[in-house]
Amino acid sequence: MYLRLFIILCLFLIGCSSKKEKTQKKHVLPKVVLETKQKNYVAGDSISLTFKADSGTERLILQVKNAYGNTLLTPELINDNSVQFLIPKNYTRLAGPCRWILLHEGETASKGKINIATNAPMATHIESYFGPRSITAGYIDYSMLTVSPTDIYDNPLDDGTEVTVKYQFEENISDLKITTQSFFSWYNVRSTTKSGRILVTSECNGTTSKELATIVFPSNATDFSINAKSAHNYADGNQIITFTSDIIKDEFGNTVSNGTLVTFIIKNEKDSYLYTIGTTLNGIVEARTLHPDKASKWEIQGFVTGAAESNIIEFDFNAAIKDYPVHFSQGNRNIDIGPFESFMKQLIPDGLLIKLDIYDAKGNFIQTNKTTTKNGSCNIFLGAHYLPEGDYILKLEAAGIKKEFTKNIHGN
Amino acid sequence: MKKKTNTLLILALIVGLAFHGSAIFFTLEYTYDALIHLFFADHYASSWFDPWEYRWYTGFTVQSYPPLVHQLIGILSYIGGLKFGMYTVGLIAIVLFITGAYRYTLLMTGSRRIAGYGAVLAVFSSTFVETLHIFGQLPSVSALSILLHSMTEIYLWIKTGKTRYFITSASMLAVTVTSHHVTPLFGMVFFIAPLMGMTVMDAAREKVDSYKKLSFKVFWSTTLQHFWRIAKFGFTAIFLLVFCIFPYWYNSKRNPITQVAIPHGSRDNFLEITSSGLVFFLIPWGVLLFILPYFFYRYFSKRYLFFGLSFTLLTILGTGGTTPVPLLMLGETAFNILTLDRFTLWATIMALPIFAEFAYRMVEGDLKTLIQSKFGGVYHRVLGGLIAGGMLFMVLFTMTLGYFRPSQPAQIKMLPIVNFLGADSHDSWRYLPLGFGDQMAWLSAQTKAMTVDGNYHSARRLPELTTRAIERIENSKFRGVEGIGSLQQFLTVPEKYNLKYIFSNDKFYDPILYYCGWQRLQQLENGIMVWEKLNVAPIPQIMPKQDVPTIMKIMWGIIPISTVLIAIFVNIQMIWVRLLKSRKTEVHSFMKLELPYNKFPAKLLTISHWWSLIVLLCIGYGMYLFYIKNVEQISPNNVVESYYDALDFKEFSRAHSYLDPEQNIDIAQYMLEVSVTDGILSSYAKLDSLNINIYDVTENSAKAKVATMWITPLENVFNDDYHELVKRKNKWYIKSSKVDNDIPPDQLFTANGTTFYNHGRRKITTQETYHEDVLKQPVLEILTAKLVQYKGQYSIIGELQNVDDTPADIVIKATLYNDRNKELANYNAKHQIKHKLMPKETTTFKINFEGIAWSSTKDTIPPTFNPDEFTPVSFEEQPTKFNLQSAGNTANTDLYKHLALQDLEYTEQGFNGVLFNSGVQEVTIPQLIISYYDKDHELLWVDHKFVTSGVRIQRKQFFNYKPLDLDSLRIVNSSLKNCFVNGLPNAAIAEKIFPNRKTIHGPKQSQPFKGKGYEYIKFELNSYIGNPK
Repeated sequence: MYLRLFIILCLFLIGCSSKKEKTQKKHVLPKVVLETKQKNYVAGDSISLTFKADSGTERLILQVKNAYGNTLLTPELINDNSVQFLIPKNYTRLAGPCRWILLHEGETASKGKINIATNAPMATHIESYFGPRSITAGYIDYSMLTVSPTDIYDNPLDDGTEVTVKYQFEENISDLKITTQSFFSWYNVRSTTKSGRILVTSECNGTTSKELATIVFPSNATDFSINAKSAHNYADGNQIITFTSDIIKDEFGNTVSNGTLVTFIIKNEKDSYLYTIGTTLNGIVEARTLHPDKASKWEIQGFVTGAAESNIIEFDFNAAIKDYPVHFSQGNRNIDIGPFESFMKQLIPDGLLIKLDIYDAKGNFIQTNKTTTKNGSCNIFLGAHYLPEGDYILKLEAAGIKKEFTKNIHGN
Repeated sequence: MKKKTNTLLILALIVGLAFHGSAIFFTLEYTYDALIHLFFADHYASSWFDPWEYRWYTGFTVQSYPPLVHQLIGILSYIGGLKFGMYTVGLIAIVLFITGAYRYTLLMTGSRRIAGYGAVLAVFSSTFVETLHIFGQLPSVSALSILLHSMTEIYLWIKTGKTRYFITSASMLAVTVTSHHVTPLFGMVFFIAPLMGMTVMDAAREKVDSYKKLSFKVFWSTTLQHFWRIAKFGFTAIFLLVFCIFPYWYNSKRNPITQVAIPHGSRDNFLEITSSGLVFFLIPWGVLLFILPYFFYRYFSKRYLFFGLSFTLLTILGTGGTTPVPLLMLGETAFNILTLDRFTLWATIMALPIFAEFAYRMVEGDLKTLIQSKFGGVYHRVLGGLIAGGMLFMVLFTMTLGYFRPSQPAQIKMLPIVNFLGADSHDSWRYLPLGFGDQMAWLSAQTKAMTVDGNYHSARRLPELTTRAIERIENSKFRGVEGIGSLQQFLTVPEKYNLKYIFSNDKFYDPILYYCGWQRLQQLENGIMVWEKLNVAPIPQIMPKQDVPTIMKIMWGIIPISTVLIAIFVNIQMIWVRLLKSRKTEVHSFMKLELPYNKFPAKLLTISHWWSLIVLLCIGYGMYLFYIKNVEQISPNNVVESYYDALDFKEFSRAHSYLDPEQNIDIAQYMLEVSVTDGILSSYAKLDSLNINIYDVTENSAKAKVATMWITPLENVFNDDYHELVKRKNKWYIKSSKVDNDIPPDQLFTANGTTFYNHGRRKITTQETYHEDVLKQPVLEILTAKLVQYKGQYSIIGELQNVDDTPADIVIKATLYNDRNKELANYNAKHQIKHKLMPKETTTFKINFEGIAWSSTKDTIPPTFNPDEFTPVSFEEQPTKFNLQSAGNTANTDLYKHLALQDLEYTEQGFNGVLFNSGVQEVTIPQLIISYYDKDHELLWVDHKFVTSGVRIQRKQFFNYKPLDLDSLRIVNSSLKNCFVNGLPNAAIAEKIFPNRKTIHGPKQSQPFKGKGYEYIKFELNSYIGNPK
């Protein structure tokens, strides 16, 4: 019971607030006169505003507002009936209109505007941009130089300020004068037909900007010619064939940029499309691939996809291996293949692939054995565990030469 | 009677502090949890009251875990750093645990001597060693220790009803609650409830002469007498549990855990997965297993009856998935959320007093007499030695487990990474560590940079993570396809998470990083490789945050520490009394209940012997099975298994020992041959399953078909290998397969090429990069783009070209819309594209739309992610239009293009082709991108294939590719209208840069091939280089 009473009492006490009713006070605005007569300033000037008021000077505050922002100032000096406000540097350094409102307890007592002009006579700064940083040779592309001259406080100079633009390409240095409009000036530096580097700079009121550059890259490649080179033209599967182009150029005679990708499409006699890739270095592309291991006829063409293509060249590979002996022993379980002799009767380099397909007498496929040659020949042993006695058809393929045997395999 | 200091307790404290206190410096940092707590502590150290933590999971709240231990470490970190704080708290926990065990044993047995034994045994309890030194569960250990301390006070409150004890017990319980939430929650059920039962039982016992006369009636009336004390304490406990960590419950309600169940070893069947059985059953139980019958005998005596029930329950629950009982008892949800190892922990702690009693009787009590009289003095000594030796062995074994089978990667020096993140505004992006283990938490604690990953999965918020049963993305490879799938989503769409840097401590992930378009930036001095992704925007200045009411922040910041202060203040007087023995205190009533221990039941001894025999037999059988399974060359199956195991773990000399000795393969030669093979299988694969089929078995030979499944970072690789096996001298061997004899043509050759370098910032400045140092984005042109539907899934395919004069890194993002321009999905090109293009190079690409990318509801997400078999997502509406946004950035790495297609032939088995590497870098993983065209050379489909072996310099590599059937393919939309390059319309670029494009070049480069639904096919090559020179 007491507890309940206590809680009710607590709630009651919480409900009682100490907030007092405000008595309505009549607000009397003081009469204020602006003493400072100067209306126009230059950025960076020290600006102070002095007012004369008949009463309540201590309660006056000044609201200042310009492009920098909005702030409230308290008086710097109060003498009898006059108050002085000092406008902070942040505000006085920014060119443009600066509005002020004199407030007395939240009510506007007076308001006005001062003008701050760009501080042109002081040192000029130049802010400049140039882009894109690379363009393509020809008549279409360009880079734009944008210059915004400013005063020492970063206020843009007035429209119509003269800016000198200079640009250099190889031996030519051109300059021209442009004027600012809406606080900046711009100029389109057109691409050249020659590839290279264009440097630009600008000058205003004796101040020069930093050096800016754009690179003129060559335009798209034009058709080119290629040739193939190899130590011999035998299909031994162990020699590199190299495809080289002449210097690939664009329509203006510039060598295409380094790293341009050229695809060499190789069409062989079975209509298979093979390829190898190269990238240009000083306009010349070189790509390599391996000789085939059987007689082939290659047609090669190079592409800079979408832009240029080369002539078609042919390269014929003659068979390096004409034939090879096969020797069966140990109940036909041991098969010695080779020696493989190449075009000069030399033993072929290691690694020629030999494939043996084993079928039973009825022609059902059993398994494939693959091996590679070592020292010119190779050996396949068909162990008794895996191939029981019987008749088998053995199909052998190496260097594109196929051989077929029907053998009785027996013994261990 | 003058109270003597308990020498055994002092001994236990000294040994415990010396042993555990010095060992934690070598173990704690390698445990699973300790560093997570360190990270939380770092949070409190830097912002005590603000619970929001931005550094993990794109932000989470630390109110998801009781804060006390973290806050203590946080406070202590001001003295000597975070690790100092952690070790100090660790030392405190050790002291609390030993003294807690002492007081608990004293309460249970009423004998100071036995309690001394309890303290000593607590020091060497393998379950404590495991919890502290392997799991690093500091909050759990601290909470449990204080719970043990509080038990005496609770007993005394219920027994005597003195307010003093009520206050002390409540103050200690409050500390328990604020250090760990699960401990008091379950502690109420498993410790405090039986304790109350025992108290009432003791009170009832005092009313009658002997336990025999203690009937249920007496017990019931006593219960009623004590009911209000029990109720008062019960309500207080619940109030404390709710109030002290109220923000935790508030957060749990507001952010319910949406995480799908993450597999935990404690839920396994311990007989099937023996490693889990070892860690979660054998180690915590240790020697106690042999004495189980004694525990049950004692705990089912009248006084301890309630403890007996609780102990039985805990023991059964701790068996995890071995028996179906825990699942039935807990229900599906609780079973999958709780880690069941804590039940075993509690069971073994609960057994401590009885174990101490056993030890006492064994060492100096009636059991000693019984054994000596029955079996002789030597037997007693041997038995005692065996038990002590067993305990010591378990402790040493557990302690060194982390050393011999490290659960963590080797310690990583974090300083270079911290410096990297701190320099050059690298922390304006998120990062992701890979292969760091739990050390990622330590890295996070040292930097203010943020990661998308994290190590406290209950707090996850990203659906990409909550829908995956993975612990961390960081170790995703251990979760197979699901883990890799989750990682791939982060790698493919990193801009969604502002993820720019990856620290890779495991080269396993390198290929997927490369193929998702990441590039190597630099190797730090600690060996960690930094990967970066271009075209990712930095983290916005204002990040989303889930705020909580100020009162919650204040509660969270003040209550936990206050509970400690109050507990110390309330209990300090008692501690002084206990330590200084300055004042004579009354002897607690439970001290009178000390048993005389004069007759150990002989039957129990016999049963214990039989039981030990059974346990020994089980262990022996387990070891035998282990041996048979692991003995290497006893059967054809075993030798193949061992051979693949050796290859998987890169133990090549062991692999060599399984090769047929009669083939005379020199070990040096074998190692040489193995070392030169490279590729995804030999360098980046983890053997996932092995299916051995032995056939053609004769006495001394056999053949094996080995079907292997490898988890690679890119996709699953299924491989069939055939081996011939021979038996020589009762051992089976594998015949080695023939090696490729191919020799490259040239000994020495030259290669010229263009290399690129981008300075980045030319001026050293902390400001934004200067305008003139920003390169122009390379211009790309999209040549074709189509929305196609194939086998039920929608894809965007197309072709694009780098039309600029500098190499470009390509990012391409597609968005699907329906007829009413409603956005349905967006995703990036993953690996079916060449991400790095030289000037004028083209690439075909395909963008698949993967589940999580747009799905906010759970049901549309496929349960598992398989990178091979894409699960098509059912669109609510038909996508009919698309938008393509491509962006180029200047690339200067990974520009190797010297892989050539040297031969191609179509056979019945598909295309057999030969790749030839004509350059000077070894290609580790070659990729084929295959595009299909119709008779008008219109692109139809893009496919890819990873060649499993690498291509060495000037050598060949064979591949086989089976062309697809495209009968069912449907082109939904083919348009270049909404294609953009670097934010500009594609059409304008095409007109300006390539006004006279020779469109015939495409057809001229594609292979005529009549397949099902297409007429032309084109092969493109992309090559990953594992070790760029």
